[in-house]
Amino acid sequence: MSGDDNTARFERIVQPHLGDAYALARWITGDRADAEDVVQEACLRAFRAVGGYAGGNTRAWMLTIVRNTAYTWLARNRNAVVTAVDDLVATENAIAAVAATSAGGRYDTNPEAELIAKADAARLEAAITALPPQFRDTLVLRDIQGLDYREIAAVTEVPVGTVMSRLARARQRLIAAIATEDQ
Amino acid sequence: MTGPMTADTHDNDDRTTLLVHAYVDGELDPANAIAIEQCMASEPALAAERARVEALRQVLRERLPREAEPLALRAKVRRAVGLTRQRAQPTWMAMAASLALAIFASSTGTWYAMQPGAGGSVPDAVIAGHLRALMAPQPADVASSDRHTVKPWFSGRIPLAPRVVDLVQDGFPLIGGRVDVVNRMPVPSLVYGRRQHLISLTAVPNASLGSTTSQTVQGYNMIAWIAEGMTYWAVSDLNLEELQMFARLFRAAPS
Repeated sequence: MSGDDNTARFERIVQPHLGDAYALARWITGDRADAEDVVQEACLRAFRAVGGYAGGNTRAWMLTIVRNTAYTWLARNRNAVVTAVDDLVATENAIAAVAATSAGGRYDTNPEAELIAKADAARLEAAITALPPQFRDTLVLRDIQGLDYREIAAVTEVPVGTVMSRLARARQRLIAAIATEDQ
Repeated sequence: MTGPMTADTHDNDDRTTLLVHAYVDGELDPANAIAIEQCMASEPALAAERARVEALRQVLRERLPREAEPLALRAKVRRAVGLTRQRAQPTWMAMAASLALAIFASSTGTWYAMQPGAGGSVPDAVIAGHLRALMAPQPADVASSDRHTVKPWFSGRIPLAPRVVDLVQDGFPLIGGRVDVVNRMPVPSLVYGRRQHLISLTAVPNASLGSTTSQTVQGYNMIAWIAEGMTYWAVSDLNLEELQMFARLFRAAPS
């Protein structure tokens, strides 16, 4: 019976990644209750799609569904503006330009590792939340959820080169935000 | 993943920076890894970037570990997808309501005996902890199936963290942990699951028990044993055979 097959597949492919699904949804929505709604909706989508799942990395497959569900959910329920890809390229270039000019000799003036190590959880969380969504997602998937570049490329649906530049920019912005003596 | 590297132009600087990040992430093939190591050795700016990235990753690992999903999420998902019939797996609310009714219906004498620290016995206090957990919105204060999350959670709260073992392969998934009070003393309780049943495993210091015992108290099965200078009390509405199996597996598992 195909219903039983789907159930077994769901338990094997989707259920092991509920923790990752919730964590990603929590970062994207910024709210625990919203994250639970998103995960339930994503699981429903995954359950319907699991019959056609063609193999490969199950975590990346599941997180791709979660991420897409989260953005549709936000657009529907929170009137969030989802940045189009074209805009995003422009945004990234603009950010890169600002970073390059405002930092001047940024390698010399960037704060040091000891300062970074002092940042507390609240400050880190605020700084991550303030990142542009695509930068934030890339950083969360790598530095909190531990995905490798190829998995992140699959989940965020961009080439690996874009993952690399987003990740580096996200980290540099985060470092600039937390590695100051004040607060 | 990448071609040969030079650092003549700003674009190449930028590219080299990306490669430092990829190096820290272990994403470079050996040839590029060696090349970037040489760049970092000769360029203090790149070495500083590496130090900052490593410091950032370290501080994120320590301060913002992946947040565990709420305990009820798995059941909610299974219901949303239609894998669970309502009757097969009662919700916590329903369980709490039926328990509350059972307790209300029982004698005041029993209720009094379940008050911890009021001269009640250790088994009564352990059962009281288990019942309170069943009535609370969540049976565990730290909800995680990862023993490496649960054990450190205890370290900040009580002097002696319990042994936490992973028994999910044997059908006893770890659900989380909480702090109970026995004889006015905070003690660690681990929560394991078995189908829709919960097992509380409470570790009480200063063992004074002769040997392994099992008993039935107020309809709950209890098994107690001594290990590492503590008395471990397993309590559940699970049948005695499976609770004994749980105790055997827990004692045999490497920590």
